[in-house]
Amino acid sequence: MTMPTPRQAELQAASRPKNAYRLSSIGFVAPSVLLVAVVLYLPFIWTTYISFTEYNGLGDPTWVGLENYREMFADPEFLTSIRNTLFWVVGTIALPVGLGLLIATLTHGMPRATWFRLPFLIPYAVSGVAVGVIWSFVLQTNGALSQALEFLHLPGSELRWLLDGPLNTFVMIGASTWQGAGVNALLFGIGLQSIPKEPIEAARVDGASGFTLFRTMTWPMLAPLTTVVVGLAIVGSLKTFDVIWGMTKGGPGRVSETLALTMFKETFVNNSYGLGAAVALFLTVVTVLASILYLRRQLADSRGA
Amino acid sequence: MALRRLILGILGVLWLVPVYLLLANASKLPAEFGDYGLWEPGTLAGLWANFAEAFERGKLSGGLLSTATYAIVSPLIAVIVGAAAGFSIVALRLRHGFAWFVVIFASSIFPLQMILMPLFVGYAETGLFNTRIGMILVYTVIAVPFSAFVMRNFFTGIAHQVFEAAVVDGASTLRIFVAIYLPMALPALIAVFILQATFIWNDLLLGLTLTQSAEVRPIITALSALQSTYGGSAMSTVLAGGLLVSLPTVVLFLATQRVFTRGLSLGQF
Repeated sequence: MTMPTPRQAELQAASRPKNAYRLSSIGFVAPSVLLVAVVLYLPFIWTTYISFTEYNGLGDPTWVGLENYREMFADPEFLTSIRNTLFWVVGTIALPVGLGLLIATLTHGMPRATWFRLPFLIPYAVSGVAVGVIWSFVLQTNGALSQALEFLHLPGSELRWLLDGPLNTFVMIGASTWQGAGVNALLFGIGLQSIPKEPIEAARVDGASGFTLFRTMTWPMLAPLTTVVVGLAIVGSLKTFDVIWGMTKGGPGRVSETLALTMFKETFVNNSYGLGAAVALFLTVVTVLASILYLRRQLADSRGA
Repeated sequence: MALRRLILGILGVLWLVPVYLLLANASKLPAEFGDYGLWEPGTLAGLWANFAEAFERGKLSGGLLSTATYAIVSPLIAVIVGAAAGFSIVALRLRHGFAWFVVIFASSIFPLQMILMPLFVGYAETGLFNTRIGMILVYTVIAVPFSAFVMRNFFTGIAHQVFEAAVVDGASTLRIFVAIYLPMALPALIAVFILQATFIWNDLLLGLTLTQSAEVRPIITALSALQSTYGGSAMSTVLAGGLLVSLPTVVLFLATQRVFTRGLSLGQF
């Protein structure tokens, strides 16, 4: 007996006593739908509305139209926040994803691969705040890193890693790479395992090896997984919060803020709920647009290939 | 192969250096901190003293119990709720099932920032602010979309005849779900549970927004507060605190790595 096609399934369903499982199917899906509706979707709508108002948490919101958005884009600090967020997106695709692919490729098919991957997996289970605690200690002015550089007679020991922008954003991307490379290696590892062996062997017989083999055979076959990993990296990096909170809290001043930090500070430090909501909505639009654009391009590419 | 090992070896050592620095400096008593070089190790006694000190100053003990509750109860509810949604869509062939699936899953695409302020205001008005029930609720809901995603994919791999055969045997839908579908999905359920438990244990943002007291506040939020207060004067205590709150997830993750990569690769790819 073969699996029924959707059309056949529909016909079968229609021939059953009218909607035999209608009630119970609704019953099983209802908890999920109700929970996300009340705790996620309702707040989304509320935040969207608040972004067009002046509101400080007390009394009633006053409608101000696009005023919050005008104020937001007129603020040079907000533009710094956008720039930093862009650094995070580009840096996250290049470093944790790139290194993850490198580690996965190097350990693939190696005896005792698990042991070689271990150092990279430990930091992944550590929370962003703890990563921040560790790295802000390492990166203190005249801290462990500066001392090591001095000892090795390398340049850079005089740098104030966490105090000057945009340098502090770059070193925080480094700290987040330390945390995130392992999980990307794990995901790419799963992808490499699922690649069929025969074409790779055939290419090897034909004389391909090393980087050529990787570029012409492995990389194209890994493409579906790469799409997922890079997509997750984009969405994740746009929302970066914990590592920064654990290292600079967006400072000194506001120089290392990202959009997620700006939203939090406007809302809960300055009590400008309307402005904070506008930043949140802007971040959401950027995240959703980036995902759609990225996925559309990827789909178009794979159709063209 | 030798070159591969060399590159991996160098990278691996680089990755372990911060771990060494954490251990070395978390084991120096704050009073003696200046007597050591930053790269020198401290003592085991110093480490224990700092653990105790971090517990005391950071008021971690109450938070530890609460966080453990959040990290166990919420993902447990979420995997079952998510699995029920997957079961409804795949096995019971819910009408417009795919659309409902999109509704559930799409909620996880939006940044958490979109819900923080309304949750803060709403929790304050309903008395859920700074309560364990409130935290369990929000963590459960955050974990539902991913759980529904993995479980729906997993159930798609189970032939529908399994369901039909059980119906012929006279089993109710609830019984089929509990006695047949859930046990079959155990590897995926465990994988989702571990991932979500780790995520909840490591959460900062919701704890920062929705809690206040040391008893309700999640452990990572407490660590962040400890760092803000004592980061200057007692760095080694803060580092010991960071080590302490990281141990459970690191151990869980490393111990279960195989189980969950298997569970996920069954579910997702």
